[in-house]
Amino acid sequence: MKKAIRTLLATSILAVSVQAAADTKVGFIYVGPKSDYGYNYAQDQGRLYLEEHMDDVETVHFENIPENADVQRVMERMVRSGVEVVFPTSYGYLDHALKVAEKYPEVHFAHSGGLKTSDNLMTYFAEIDQAMYLSGVAAGLTTKTNKLGFIAAHPIPQVLRNINAFTRGAQSVNPEVTTSVIWTSNWSDPTKEAEAAEALISDGADVLTGHVDSPINYVQVAERRGVYSVGYHADASQFAPEGWLVGAVWNWGPMMVDIVKSAEDGTWKSEHLRGDLLTGAAKLSDFGSAVSDEDQQTVLDRQEAIMNEEFQVWAGPVIAQDGTVLVEEGDVMTLEETEKMDFLVNGVKGRLK
Amino acid sequence: MESFVTELLTLLFAALRSATPVLAVVLGEAMTQRSGVINLGVEGQMLLGAMTGFAVASISGDPWLGVLAACGAGIALSMVHAILVLGCRANQIASGVAVLILGGGLSAYYGIPFVGNKIDTLGNLNHTFVSDIPLLGQFLGPITPTVLITLLAIPAISIFLFRTRTGLRWRSTGESQEITRNLGHSPVPYQLAAIAFGGLMSGFAGAALAVDYTANWVEGMTAGRGLVAVGLVIVARWNPWYALPAALLFGASEALNLKLQSWGVPISPYLLATLPYLIPLSVLMLSYRGLRASGGGMPAGLRVVFQSAR
Repeated sequence: MKKAIRTLLATSILAVSVQAAADTKVGFIYVGPKSDYGYNYAQDQGRLYLEEHMDDVETVHFENIPENADVQRVMERMVRSGVEVVFPTSYGYLDHALKVAEKYPEVHFAHSGGLKTSDNLMTYFAEIDQAMYLSGVAAGLTTKTNKLGFIAAHPIPQVLRNINAFTRGAQSVNPEVTTSVIWTSNWSDPTKEAEAAEALISDGADVLTGHVDSPINYVQVAERRGVYSVGYHADASQFAPEGWLVGAVWNWGPMMVDIVKSAEDGTWKSEHLRGDLLTGAAKLSDFGSAVSDEDQQTVLDRQEAIMNEEFQVWAGPVIAQDGTVLVEEGDVMTLEETEKMDFLVNGVKGRLK
Repeated sequence: MESFVTELLTLLFAALRSATPVLAVVLGEAMTQRSGVINLGVEGQMLLGAMTGFAVASISGDPWLGVLAACGAGIALSMVHAILVLGCRANQIASGVAVLILGGGLSAYYGIPFVGNKIDTLGNLNHTFVSDIPLLGQFLGPITPTVLITLLAIPAISIFLFRTRTGLRWRSTGESQEITRNLGHSPVPYQLAAIAFGGLMSGFAGAALAVDYTANWVEGMTAGRGLVAVGLVIVARWNPWYALPAALLFGASEALNLKLQSWGVPISPYLLATLPYLIPLSVLMLSYRGLRASGGGMPAGLRVVFQSAR
């Protein structure tokens, strides 16, 4: 019922707000609040960038739209009220977006993070695991206990990529390092995240990071307990003036501008558009004062190597938790393989299922 | 041996931390039910308390003002239940659910501008005499004020309920409104106070989460803890003293779930996540064997709630 009212409200506000415009209308749909200081916040920063950098674009957006038939209704209303480019930004919107896209072939859809396309539906994402790898390097150089803690929501490929990339980055400078993972089974449960952080710290972890909706909770606990933290999704350095190392953050704006421009001038391609450190869609945040100049340089040199393609995060050997060699030395995992990742690497403590 | 003791104490204090917000709600709801009223809306009251507390702490810069505001918000929302139940004689279950949804919606809507704000916390016992106590100091030091206040509420409530005249009438109202009326008192003031007290405690529990524990506001951040507390009232047999072990049981299971994962114990995290529900449920079933005839301490007046719901 609550959802139904929300959708109704959302759609009726939409109908009013779009009527006045004459330019390209772009619609955004978020699964959570845009002010979550995490995933949705980052997507919404992209929307604001789009408005700022394209004079002929007007945007509308909806928050808290669940990943069910509700999102189809929101998309349909958007399209009927004149939206020409739709950004369904949540992973679970993909199949719903494909259905609506089939119904409205003249409208363009850009889905975030999916691995399916149709004639008028493309996907966009960024290899933020590169930035997580670099954060891992910083963590590996900083840790004194050689124990890192990772607070994770659900064992989906995007999360596993980040756990593994972070661990591999740390191992590359400090082979002794292990990463303990705690699953919270929820994208957003602040109490559990805080308690998970406490549990990891009391077991000796002295650098915490995570992949939950917002980094604020574990970053604040780490600061209170006097250990280091690495952020994810958004820069949370203000919550940890002492212990902030660095973080992996999104920068969707430029990519969204490219997508909307391609829809306007007819160069639209039905593809999997992937940004990375080089395109700037995934970035390393600023370093905190806890990282020495020398260590910062080590991380930046590695970043340089990734951007020059001298070094690849998923180059073999990639070794699973049980010691099985998954990727031989000399081989590199493909985009498809990394986006379907279903394993934890050697050095990670924790269970998948 | 010493490391074992340390681990055990770590777990115990983690349990206490996790249990505190739940304990506050259990105490409040037990008092409400002791007057013959059930309020399923405590989760909504917690959320509104959490959001209001965080917002006020964020605007005023004073977290204690936030705690006070949270208590006020909890009471205010509980008055919706009071008006519906006492004023309009509405079905208590339906009214409670309405309050639950209302609290969730209001807090989500009005909380939006405060997400991602940074607030000052209430502090803890570090740098006081307790943090110098050998062995225990490292565990007592991080204890925060809401934990202490909630623990102190137990004897206070217990003295009020079992040692005062008002407490006696409160309880007799819960057993039979008829008796209270025959003694020349109206049950309404007692039930109104009971609902308000439940509102106060759940608003406070919201503040314990948002202002004290996480120093963060997120939509729906109570994640079902209010509803768990309503269930734990039965485990605690409507007794403020039993509320502590009942809430600790939940807190310990939650802490254990995370702790076992951190130790790398080879059990599925999905199974471990059921612990906070599985363990109290098992205790409930075991402890109620043989108690069924007496109702396990349920105020007799509560039966009316379910009869009228038919």
